[in-house]
Amino acid sequence: MNTIIKEQNGELIAIFDGRLDTAAAVQTEKDLAPLANCAGKNIVLDCNALDYISSSGLRLFLTILKNAKVQGSKVFIAGMNNDIRNVFSMTGFTQLFEFR
Amino acid sequence: MITVQHLTKTFVSSDGKQLQVLKDVNCHIDKGEVISIIGPSGTGKSTFLRTLNLLEFPTSGEIIVNGKNILSKNYPLNKLREKMGMVFQSFNLFEHLSVLDNVTLAPMKLHGLSRLQAEKEGIEYLRKVGLAEKLSAMPSQLSGGQKQRVAIARTLAMHPDIILFDEPTSALDPTMVGEVQGVIQSLAQEKMTMLIVTHEMKFAREVSSRIFFMYNGGIYEDGTPEQIFGNPQKTETRNFVHLIRKLIFDIENKDFDFYDMTSQIKQFCIRYAMPERMNPITHVVEEMLMLLSKYENPIHIEITYSELDYSSMIVFVHKGETISPLERNDADELSVLIIRGMSKEIQTQQTADGVQLTFFME
Repeated sequence: MNTIIKEQNGELIAIFDGRLDTAAAVQTEKDLAPLANCAGKNIVLDCNALDYISSSGLRLFLTILKNAKVQGSKVFIAGMNNDIRNVFSMTGFTQLFEFR
Repeated sequence: MITVQHLTKTFVSSDGKQLQVLKDVNCHIDKGEVISIIGPSGTGKSTFLRTLNLLEFPTSGEIIVNGKNILSKNYPLNKLREKMGMVFQSFNLFEHLSVLDNVTLAPMKLHGLSRLQAEKEGIEYLRKVGLAEKLSAMPSQLSGGQKQRVAIARTLAMHPDIILFDEPTSALDPTMVGEVQGVIQSLAQEKMTMLIVTHEMKFAREVSSRIFFMYNGGIYEDGTPEQIFGNPQKTETRNFVHLIRKLIFDIENKDFDFYDMTSQIKQFCIRYAMPERMNPITHVVEEMLMLLSKYENPIHIEITYSELDYSSMIVFVHKGETISPLERNDADELSVLIIRGMSKEIQTQQTADGVQLTFFME
C-alpha cells in the first residue's frame, strides 16, 4: 500500500495505491498526516488505484472528513472500483462524501 | 449373500513400516444389489474389493459368503473366484488370444465345457456387450473401451454370483467411458449383483441401489444414492460429494501473520477460479477478526468452495464463547455493516467448541 500527498491547483490530493486493510492502516494514517492542516483547502482522496478498503481504512477517511469540516474544507472522493463502491454503499459512506 | 465383519488390512513395507489401509470394515451385501464404492484416493476402496475375493488376504475380520467364512483354511479359493468375477482397471486380457478365446478359456478349463459349447456361450456374452463382430480380433486391435467390454464378457462367461469392478473406466479415454458404463447399466437392469469402485459420481448415482462412501479405511457412510448425494449426513461425505475445497486457519494469538492469511485467501480464490470473491471473502474474514481482536480465545476459520455448485462460505468458530460477536452491544458498527453487507446469509449456532458463525457468500 502506497500513499502520496501532493498539492495541485490549490487542492490537497491523496493518491492511494494498493489495499487499505488493517495491516496497512497504521502506516497510511502516518502518510495522511499532512492533510490535518488543510486550512480551508479542499481535499481529494484519489482512489483510482485503490483495490480494497476495510473498516480500518473507512475510519481514516472519516477522520479526514471530520477534520476538514472543522477547517472549512470539503473532501471529494475520486475513482472507486466496484468493491469499494459496495463498501461505501453498505456502510452509508456514500451519503457522507462528495464524489468526482 | 456377503457379510463383512471387522475387516482390517495392514501392509508392511520392506523397511518394516506398517500401513493400515482397512481399519474396521463392516457391511452386508444382498443378492441383486448394485453398490458403488466412492471416496477419496488412498482410502482403501480397491483394497477392500481385492480382499473380498482374497486377491489381498485380510489381516483380521470375517468375510461370510453364502453362510461360509471364506477365510477359513479349507475354503476352496478357486470356487470363490469363479463365483466372484472381477473386472480390473487395466483389462488384463491375454494379448496372444483372440477376443473369443479370451472369453472361452476359463469356462473350458474350469467348468469343463467343450469348445463348441464354450464358444456358443462366449458369442452370446460378446453379443451382450456389443462385440460379437469382433470375436476373431486380437486385443491389440481393440480400443480401450472394447477391451474392457471383452473383459466383462469374459467375467460373465463364468456365471458369477457377483462382479467386482475396480475402477472399470479409469484407464479409458473420456469418449469410451460411456460404452462401458452402458454395459454395466444393462447388467444392473438384469439384477446382476455388483460392487463398483468408481470416481464417476454421475454414473454411481445413476447405476447404484446403494453407495458406500469410504473414508479413512472404513465405510464412513452407507445409503441410497439419494441419501448420499442428496442429503449426506456426515461432514466428510458432504465435502466429498459436493467437491468441497477448504482453506483453514487456526489463530491461537494476536501475533498471527495477517499478510500471509490474505495472500493465502488470494491464492485459494485464484486456484478455484473465483477471483471476484477474493475481496468479499477477505472483507468478512478481516472484519470478523477486527470484532474478535478484543478477545483472547482461539479462532478457527474455514473458507470453503464447492466445485459442484460453485457456492462458497466462511465458517468462524470463536472457541469457548457463547455470544456471537455480531450481537454484542460494543460490536464495531462499521465492521458489522460490512460483514452483513458482504454475506448472503449468516447462521449462528452453538457448538461444543464455541459459538460458530457461517457466512454464505454471494
